[in-house]
Parts: sequence; structure tokens; C-alpha cells
Amino acid sequence: MKLLLVILISLSFTRAGFSSAEPTPKVAIAPVEQKGSVVRVNSTNQSYDFVRPWSKDAPFSRRGLGILLDGGKILVTAELVANSDYIELERADGGEKATAKVDVIDYEANLATLTAEDPNFLAGMQPLGLTTDVKTGDELSVLQLESNGTPVSAKALVTSVEVGKYALEDSGYLMFRMSCPLQFRENSFTLPIVKGNKLAAYLMRYDSRSQTIDAISSPVINHFLAESRHHPYRGFPRAGLDFSSTRDPQLRRYLKLQDSDGGVYVNRVEQDGPAANGGVQEGDVLVAIGDKQVDPDGNYLNPLYGKVSITHLTTTEAYAGQSVTMTVIRNGQRKQLNIELFRKAPEDYAIEPYTIGKQPRYYILGGLVFEELTRDYLREWGANWLKDAPQRLVYYDKYQSELFPEKRKIVFLTQILPTQETVGYEQLNNLVVAKLNGRQILNLNDFAEAAKNPIGGFHKIEFEEDPHEIYLDAKQVEANSAKLQSVYSLPALQHL
Amino acid sequence: MIRRVVFLLVTLFIVANGSADVPRTVEIRKSLVRITATSQEPDYKVPWNPGTMSVGVGAGFVIDGDRIMTNAHVVSNAKFIVVEKEDDPQDYPAIVEFIGHDCDLAVLQVLDKRFFRNTIPLSPGGIPAIESPVSVYGYPIGGDRLSVTRGIISRVDFQTYTHSGIDSHLAVQIDAAINPGNSGGPVMQDGKVVGVAFQGYSGDVAQNVGYMIPTPVIKRFLEDISSGHYDGYVDLSLTYFKLLNSAEREALGLPDNDQGVIISAVSSAGSSYGVLKEGDVLLTIDGLPIASDGFVQLDGERVEMPEIVERKFKDDTVKFDIWRDKAKQTVELKLSGNWPYLMQANRYDSPPRFVLFAGLVFQPLSKNFMDAYQVDDLRLRYFYNYFITDEIFKEHPEVIVLSNILPDPVNAYLSDLRFQIVDKINDKKIRKLQDVADAFAQTSDYYVINFVGSSRPAVLERSAVEQARERIIANYNVQKEQYLGGGLLK
Repeated sequence: MKLLLVILISLSFTRAGFSSAEPTPKVAIAPVEQKGSVVRVNSTNQSYDFVRPWSKDAPFSRRGLGILLDGGKILVTAELVANSDYIELERADGGEKATAKVDVIDYEANLATLTAEDPNFLAGMQPLGLTTDVKTGDELSVLQLESNGTPVSAKALVTSVEVGKYALEDSGYLMFRMSCPLQFRENSFTLPIVKGNKLAAYLMRYDSRSQTIDAISSPVINHFLAESRHHPYRGFPRAGLDFSSTRDPQLRRYLKLQDSDGGVYVNRVEQDGPAANGGVQEGDVLVAIGDKQVDPDGNYLNPLYGKVSITHLTTTEAYAGQSVTMTVIRNGQRKQLNIELFRKAPEDYAIEPYTIGKQPRYYILGGLVFEELTRDYLREWGANWLKDAPQRLVYYDKYQSELFPEKRKIVFLTQILPTQETVGYEQLNNLVVAKLNGRQILNLNDFAEAAKNPIGGFHKIEFEEDPHEIYLDAKQVEANSAKLQSVYSLPALQHL
Repeated sequence: MIRRVVFLLVTLFIVANGSADVPRTVEIRKSLVRITATSQEPDYKVPWNPGTMSVGVGAGFVIDGDRIMTNAHVVSNAKFIVVEKEDDPQDYPAIVEFIGHDCDLAVLQVLDKRFFRNTIPLSPGGIPAIESPVSVYGYPIGGDRLSVTRGIISRVDFQTYTHSGIDSHLAVQIDAAINPGNSGGPVMQDGKVVGVAFQGYSGDVAQNVGYMIPTPVIKRFLEDISSGHYDGYVDLSLTYFKLLNSAEREALGLPDNDQGVIISAVSSAGSSYGVLKEGDVLLTIDGLPIASDGFVQLDGERVEMPEIVERKFKDDTVKFDIWRDKAKQTVELKLSGNWPYLMQANRYDSPPRFVLFAGLVFQPLSKNFMDAYQVDDLRLRYFYNYFITDEIFKEHPEVIVLSNILPDPVNAYLSDLRFQIVDKINDKKIRKLQDVADAFAQTSDYYVINFVGSSRPAVLERSAVEQARERIIANYNVQKEQYLGGGLLK
């Protein structure tokens, strides 16, 4: 106990000595060039309530810093302006305000460009270029503004460059991790990071305990900006395969791999995804992408960053619409496969991984509320939604590509708005619909169509689980719909 | 696992009620038994271990035929039991003759018949009326001397019997407090046993709520074991939905008479399968009309429809009037149990089943398994929770899980595969634990284990496995490499 105390004291001494010996790392007046590139962005955002899809949650504000780019666009994180109702720009120097709108937004890469509605608003500001010349050990500057508009910057050391989770759990891209003591200022933590007088990264997460930054890396920003010039915007592509390490020597011998082969084991290829279309099969060992060798952990050697996950090659180095060559070993034979890369839009998932900026679809039939299942619906159960949300639906979401390889949605009964027609059904919720009036339901449009054709005067609703069928009187539903709408103050009985 | 010794709480005031004719303590002394059981709880995380020892005290009472009735949970997993009675200095070893984990009742035999000298067997009465007083006897908090408390009957309804955790039967709620040691003790009224005290809530959940097993359950147990074997409860193995909605009734062509429930699912492993089907409306059971909320009128009481089946035995029949395709039919079916349910029931008196190979532990999914490992894995939880409703048992009669890895060079790269469900070994589909043992008993250069869903296979070389075997057994003190007995599958 005593010994431990001594160690602790000596440690804190060392640290104190270290920081006082160094010039203060935090505050330094930024170069003039940058001062004219930064603009405050205030966004009022409001997301839909996925349990009551006819209403929105309370609005909330986010603030951050945007950077003026060549061409008059302002770059921010997508998180800052996700579900925005109103975006306001505020000049750092004079404090003038103007309205802006989203130009291009990519929630997966967590980036967006904005345009000012008044083009003269940005007059006199200096656009900033982008540099991709960043590597581990570089010292970058995080830009912040004092409340009076004075620019300050904090030095940030790039400690690693790796593929990591962005704003959504499914999307991982190249990320700069940095170490930096940062003060929380009124701008929140959506901040540009520069190297010299070029934009190098964008801060998206800051952990104040460990004083570490997760930043959107310049190759990702570069990809986003380049793709932004393409109409329509096609997003970041993906290969559509899962892989795992081949480090296990027993596995390597079984797969007849030479040590020099490297390679990763392909666990699964997503049906109709780029890898599947190009002929990659489950059980293949992926040994090269283009001229890059894949090591047993799924990394390749990047000239600038060292070992980086091959995900970077297929999502960021390559663009949607481009092809890459994948070399696989199958039954001891090498094969070269041509993979045409493309993005899978959230709409193309059976269960949308995110639903941002649009109203959830719903259909109310006689007090029974039906929606298409989305992950945002499950997230309404809070931080612990994986355990607290209805377990069958969580399972469907997690294993959706395995369970629902075909193109479809999951239509389900979310809840009941009790009326005379729903007597006896009050307890039903979170039930997946199999059929309505004898018609198989693969999306909410099917449901709306089937609702037009009741059988013998009744709507017959069939669920995948207990109780497998229930009925509504079609005439009563029709006759009471206006009343239902007014009693529960519903703006509409459906949104398709 | 914590032993569910449940008891009756000590009432603060003994309410004098002149009308109650309760047997005097001097007589109950001749029937009440104190039971001390030394038990070994199986260790599902280290399945070859003999398990941890614990000693529990409960109550019991003498019944006809020189036997003792008590709760199953008092003597579950018991390795050694002694019984004592008031006014006798001797401890008598006893053995379990019959045990019903589904109804939490057991009958013990005492080897030395002298134990029963001067004892008076108690016999079961009926279901006591609401508000009528009862007396409860036992050894709360493990005391040596008998304790008596009194309360009244608060409620009679279906309750989950926590001993198995999955069975629900009739239970009677009494307003007596609860303490360990009352379990298995008789609850008396008018000189008859009207219940066996068995479970309650801890004080922070509900106050003055204790439960006793009522006589219909006790009598059923005694009748079941009279054949010399306990078959256990039978079940319709179906779910039904109340027919309260007028549109639904009309659509099904039913009159608006508040009668009938609709079948929403029939388990393919149960007794209704092939006779009843989803969408059938059950109108009567053994001639008794079934109300639209699923209740029937039985002996002057409204009880839930399954209560009719509760009182029946294996191979008994039950008769339904049903409404199918808008016409009335009469069907009859023979009753049996439903084995897949047992996967979700607490299991006792049976060592954990497992296969150990190359430091990999394979175990079938079960309630005890989930309690021991507290698994977060979503697929595993789905397989467990939906084993019955989604009929997962059809493809996986036993869900075999790679439950643990004893680290060794042979399995150094496999740790991320923990809690995966085994699909195939060397291309052979794995449906039960025996298949795992069989597959590893085959001689093969490689053992390739594929898992359900998308993950890489685990590959083991025979030579590496053979080299590792003695090392793993020695390092981890493995006492046996597999136990395959006692499965749920016949």
C-alpha cells in the first residue's frame, strides 16, 4: 500500500515536470490564412419519433465549426446537421449570420457540405485546400474559436492511423487518432484540424478523459469531395464480404496456404453484393487486392500509414463504379476476380441501418399501427436497446443479411391505438406481419395495396407469431377512420 | 445456483379466530419432520467438477404408507438426507423415493422404519375458502424447534413454480410472512393438510405474500406416483388467443355468445399436434364450455381452461368441441408431455452434459447453461428464447455450443469462436451432443468444426490434438472428458 502511494506520487511529479517544461501546447494564435476559412455552424435538428412516426422529437441545437472549401462549399460533419430543420452560418470575424442548406451529405462517412443561401455572405473568406500528406507522428492543429471570434488552435499529435468506427456502427473508414488536450468551447467538438494551412482531418469524437481525438481522415474527406462532384452522389463503396484472420497455423495447413501467401478467410459474401457478383465465395482466401498483398490479419502495407485494413482499399481508395481485382485461393488454386464496387444504400437493406432526414413510413389500419422495421425504431429502447428492445426484432436486424437475403422490408405491428375495433387486441405489439388479406407483405406498399381488398368484409391480418391471425371489420375501419384520426390527433393515417 | 428454500413468513400478530378448528400443536408434533439435505450443485462452467456442497434445512410431514412429503427443492441435488422429528433425539437417514420437479413435490422414505413409531400421517383436504384461516408449520430460518404461524387465504390462481422456472400450476396465496426453512411444511385447516408451503417473495418485492401448493396438485402427484413411477404433467402444447373481438368472431363465423378461444400455435412436439391446428376454435373441453377469455366453470369456480388438463395423467384423453372451417367438430387427443420445454426448465439431479476436445468445451444449451454463463451473444439468446416458439428443436434437438476454451497451444487462435453454435463437424450435421462425441471419436487428419451463421471454421489437426490431450487434462485438472448421459431426448 505504501509502495503504491510512492509510485503514484512520483508519477504525478514526472507528469507535472513534463508539462511545465514544455511550452503550453494548447493556445497559440493561428496563422491568418486560417482565420478567414472558419465559420460557425449552428444547426437546429429534430429527428422523428420512430415509435410515433407521425411526430418529431423535441428540436435540439448543435454547434460546430465549418471550413470554407474551394468552390464556396462549407465542410462539416454529417452528425452536426443530421435531421436539420434549420442551419445558420455565423462569421467568426463579424458575427453576421446567414441561412445555409445541405449540399451533399454522407452519414456513413460522417461528412457534409453546406452552401450559404446568400452567396455574398462568404465574401472575403479564404478557402482552404486539403492535404492527404499526414502520417503517424505528425503534429496537427485543431481549430477553435473563442466566444469573441478569436481563433485558437491546439496541437494534436497523430498517434495512429487505422480503420475505425465512424458515426454509425456498420461503417468503418480510415481514422486519425490523435492525442491532444482540448478545452470544450462553445463550438462543441465538431472541429477542423489543419496541417500548415491545409485541411488534414475533421474531429468527430473527443474523449476528455484520455484526451484522444478520433478524426475523419483526409483520404476520407478527399473521397467525399471527389465523389461530391459526381451526380448523382454515389457514396463510399463496399466489397460486401466478411473476413477473418488466417493466423492459425492449423487452419493454414488445412487450407493448404503457404506462409508467404498471407490472406484472410472469407466468412461470408453478401448476396448480390460486389464480391458475390464478382465470384468471391465463402471459404475463399483473399490474398491480394489489386497489387496489394493481404496479410493474415487483413491488412496491407500503405506507403504513408504502414499497416492498414484492406477495408480502406475497397471503401476509400476506390470509388463506386470502379473495379478492383481480388486474388483468392480456392481449393489450392489462385483465381483473379474482377469486383465492381458499389455502395449499398440504407434503403436497400431489409432493416434500414439508419433513417435520417426522412419520416419513417407507417400505415394505421383501424387503430393498428404498422411500420417498416428500422434500426432507429429499435434504438428507441435507449442505450441498452440490444437487450431491451423486442428480441426477435433485434435478432432480425443483427442477422438481416443472413435471414433476408432477398429484397424486402419487415412490416410489423408496432402498437395499438385502442378503439372499439381493437377490443381484445390491446396487448399486441411488435409482431411481424406475414400476410394481409391473403397477400404476402414484403413492404408497406404491399400492405397498403392489400388493405384495399378486404376478404368478405374483413381485414385478415396474419402474423409470423402468436396470435397468428386477427381480423378487423373493414366497413367499421373505414367508417371510424376520421374519428380515430381526430381522437388521437394524427396528422395522417399513413405515410408511404 | 442459489437454493430456492422458500418459507412462510412469521406473522407479527396471531389473529385469534374462534371459529377455526386448527389441530393443536401437540398433535402436529407427531406429523412434522425436519429435513436436512446435503446437496451438490452441478458446476456448468466446469462441468467435470463434482460441484459445490451446500446444506439446507426444510420441513416435511408424514403421509400414509410411512412416507414423508416435502418440496422437491428441499431435496434436489441431495447427496445425503437426514430427517428428525420432535421428541426423538435420533437423526434418521432418508432417501428420495419420488420427486416431481415440475410440481416441486417429493416423497421420501426413511430406511429405519422405527422413525414412524408414534407418528400420525396427515391427509390432504380440499381448497380452502378465500379469507379462511390456516396454520403453517415448519422450521423458519433453520431453527431446531417447530414454528407455527397463521394467516388467511388471500387468492387462488395460476403461478409459475420457481423450482423448475417454467411450469405454472394452481397455487394458493396466503398472507403469512416467509423465511427459509418453512419449505415443504404443511399448511393446515380443520385437521387436514390444505397445502405445502413452497415459495414467496423477498420483502423488497411484496409484503405478506406467501404461496402454498394446493391439494389438487398434491393429490395429482400422489396419484401419479402410485403407478411406481412419476410421469409428470401433461400438456396440450398449444397457445390460444382470447376471442373478445366482435369482428374476429364474426369473421370466423362464430355466434356472439362469448364462447371459444382460437388456437394460435400448436407445438409439433406436443400432444395436440396432428389433431388440433392453428385457427381452430376450442368451444368446449370435456363437455365444459370455454368462455371467450379462456376460462371454464369447474366445481363452482372459474378456472383457466388448462386446469382441466392439469389434473390428467400421461396417456389420458381430453375431448374438445372445436370450430373448424365454420363447422363444429368433436376431437379427442391423448395427452403427453412436451420435451422441448424442459430445455428452458431448471434441471436437477443430473450432472452437466459436455464433451471436451482439444480444450474446447461443448455443451447443450439449457436454462442451467444460460444461468451459469450469462451469455450476451444475440444468436445464442435467440436460440434459447425461441427454442420452443420457433421450433428450433426440429433442426437442433440440442443446441450445441462451444461454451468454453481451456487455453492451450492447440486452440490458441480460436478464442473468438466462443459461444458459437456448432453446425457441422467434418461435414456431419450436429443435432445432439452424442453427434459431437461420435464425430471426435472418428479418426481424421483434421477436425473441421463449422458454426451456425458466418464465421470461419475451427480447424484442429489430429496430431496437435493428441499432443495436447494429456497436457490439458493435467493443467486443468480435468476429471472426465465427456458426460453424455441424462439428455432430454429419448
